[in-house]
Amino acid sequence: MTAMKTIEENLKKEARRLLESGEVAVVIAYGRGFDENHPMPCAITKAEETEGLVFNEYCTFNLARYLPKYPPKTRIAVALKAADSRAVVQLIQEEKVRREDLVLLGIPVTGMKDQKTGETIDNRTTCNMANPVLFDVLLGDEIHGFKGGSPYDVLEKLESMSEDERWAFWEKEFEKCIRCFACRKACPMCYCDPCFMDASRPRWADKSPTPDGHLMYHLTRFYHLAGRCVDCGECSRACPVDIPLYLFHKKVAKECEAMFKQSAGMRIEDKPAMVNYGNQDSDEMLR
Amino acid sequence: MLKKIALEKFGDLVAALMEKGPLYAPVKSEKAVDFREIKNPGDATLDFYNTAMSPKFMFFPQSEDIIRYKLGKDATEAEPVKIDAKPSVILGVRPCDAKSFEIMDRHFLGAGVIDPYWKDKRDKTTVIGYAFDPSARPDPADFYNTLGIGACDTAGSDIFMIRADKRLLLKGITEKGDRLLKDLTVLEDGSNADEKVFDDVSKKGGEAKTRFMKIDDKEIAGKLVQVFGSKEFWEKATAACISCGACTFVCPTCYCFDIADETLFKEGVRKRFWDACMFTDFTLEASGHNPRPRTFQRYRQKVCHKYSYHVDKYGCISCVGCGRCTRSCPVNIDIFSVVESVMKQ
Repeated sequence: MTAMKTIEENLKKEARRLLESGEVAVVIAYGRGFDENHPMPCAITKAEETEGLVFNEYCTFNLARYLPKYPPKTRIAVALKAADSRAVVQLIQEEKVRREDLVLLGIPVTGMKDQKTGETIDNRTTCNMANPVLFDVLLGDEIHGFKGGSPYDVLEKLESMSEDERWAFWEKEFEKCIRCFACRKACPMCYCDPCFMDASRPRWADKSPTPDGHLMYHLTRFYHLAGRCVDCGECSRACPVDIPLYLFHKKVAKECEAMFKQSAGMRIEDKPAMVNYGNQDSDEMLR
Repeated sequence: MLKKIALEKFGDLVAALMEKGPLYAPVKSEKAVDFREIKNPGDATLDFYNTAMSPKFMFFPQSEDIIRYKLGKDATEAEPVKIDAKPSVILGVRPCDAKSFEIMDRHFLGAGVIDPYWKDKRDKTTVIGYAFDPSARPDPADFYNTLGIGACDTAGSDIFMIRADKRLLLKGITEKGDRLLKDLTVLEDGSNADEKVFDDVSKKGGEAKTRFMKIDDKEIAGKLVQVFGSKEFWEKATAACISCGACTFVCPTCYCFDIADETLFKEGVRKRFWDACMFTDFTLEASGHNPRPRTFQRYRQKVCHKYSYHVDKYGCISCVGCGRCTRSCPVNIDIFSVVESVMKQ
C-alpha cells in the first residue's frame, strides 16, 4: 500500500494541477483540524490552499456527503476512499450528481482509524474494500490481495438471536438516542429535503425524544437506505452515543444483495435495487 | 468542613448517598461514561475523564412534560404537571460542568423570569464536584483553563471532592453541601494534614494548562460583532459543518428548547424538549420563510450566542471549555479554533 504521506503529497499535487488549470472550481478533500489527529473536511478553490491539504489514517469522513449541495455543472474534484466512491456511484445512479461534473481522486487504502477509539476500522463496521470502484486519478497504488473478511461476518451474533432478543437489543440501543440527527447528516445517501422527520404536516414521529419516535426515525431511515447504503460506517462513527447503526444497515444490505444480486454503488450502469424491477427479482417476501 | 474516606470505601459512600434520595453518578458503559441514576453502589465509577453527555439534564432534561390534556367533545381538560422533583444528589461533576450550572442560572433564574422547572430541580439537588487530576494531561479538545476555569475550581459545586493518594477528600462549599456532609456518617473528619493536601492540589489545579490563548469576554464579544457580516469568513470556517445537533446536545450550556403538543387519540402532553440552532427548521417560520437557511448562518449564530450575545446580556461567555462539542463533532469542527481565528481577524 502506498504510504499515507505519499498519498497526501499526490493529493496536493493533483489538487493544485486541477485548480491551476481551471479544470475544476472546487476541490473537496481533508484539511488540518485543531491537531494532527483531527483532520477536517474542506472545500478549497485556490491553488495556494492546496498546501493545507492532509491525508492520514484519521481522514475517515465520507466526502461524497458534500456533493449534492453544489448546483449542477459545478466542476468538483473530490477525494474518495473505496466506500466513498461507492457512495458517489450511488449518487450518480440516483441522479443527484452528474458524472461529467466530477473528477474523482481515488485513494486505495486500508487500516484507517476511528478517532474516538483509535481502533482500526475494518469489516466489522464498514464494507472494508481497499480500492475505489470508480476514479479518474488514483493517488496511490492499487492494492492487490487484501483480504479483510466479509462485511457481514459481524452479523452472526445478531442473526443467531431470537426475534424477541433482537427486538430487546434494538430497543436498548435506541434508548440511547438523543435525536441529534448526526447519523442522517453524516450519511451521503441522506439528502432528502425536507427529511420526513422534519415534516410538520403531517408529523410522522414525535418531535420530542420518545422511544416510539426513535423507532419511527431509525427504522424508517434503515429501510429508506435499503439497497442504497454503501456501508461506509459514517453514521455509526458520527453517533455521539455509540449506537451500532451499521449492524442494521449491513443486515438490510445483505438481504438486498441476496434478493436482487446487486450491491449498492458498485456500477454506474445499475439502477438502485428498490426502484428497479426485473422479472428475475426475488418474490420471496410474497410467499 | 473537610471530610475524608478511603478510596476503597467509595462504594460505601455511594451507598450512603443513595439513602438520601436518587443519586446520579458516572457509570461506565461499553464505550463511554455517562451520568445515570445509581441502582447498585458498584455501578458508580471515578475512573473517567469526563462524561460523553453533560450533566445539564439534571435540571434541564432532554424532554419534560408541562401539561397533560384530554380532548373532549366540547372542551379540553388540561392539567399542569406538578413541579415537584425529589431531592437528589449528583456526584462526580467536573469543575467546568459545575461552572456551567452557574452560567445557566443566569438565564433560567436571573433574566427577569424565573423558570420554575429549572429552579425546582436546582434547589433540591446537591452537586458534588470532582476535581480533574491536575497532574494528568487534559484532553486536547478541552480549553476550560483558557476560559479561566481551573482543574480544581469549586464554583457551582455544593461539595467538592478531590482524589489524593488513596483517599477522597470532600469539602463543603455551600450550606447545602455542609448539611449533606454532616449527615454522611461513613465519612471521617479531615485532619490538618488533609486540609493542606486539599489546598495544595487545588493550587495545582489553577496551574494545569489546557490551551494557551487567553480569551477576554468583552474583547471577543466586540470582535464577533465586527466579523459578523463577513460571509467569506464564516463560510470558510464552517465549510465542513453538516448541520447536525450533536454539538449543542452534548453542550452543558446550550439551553434552547422547543415546545410541542403530542397527542395520541384523545390524550396528549405538552412537552418542552431540547432544540438545536444547528437544525434547518430551528428558525423556520409559519410563513415558510427561514431567516437562517444556510449552514454558516446557523453555526455563526451558535458562536455569536455563546461568545457575544451572552456576554452582552448576562455578562459572561456561555461556554466552559469542556471540549464535548469538539469531541462529538462528526467532522472535527473545533469551536475554540473558530473563536481563535475570529480574534485574529
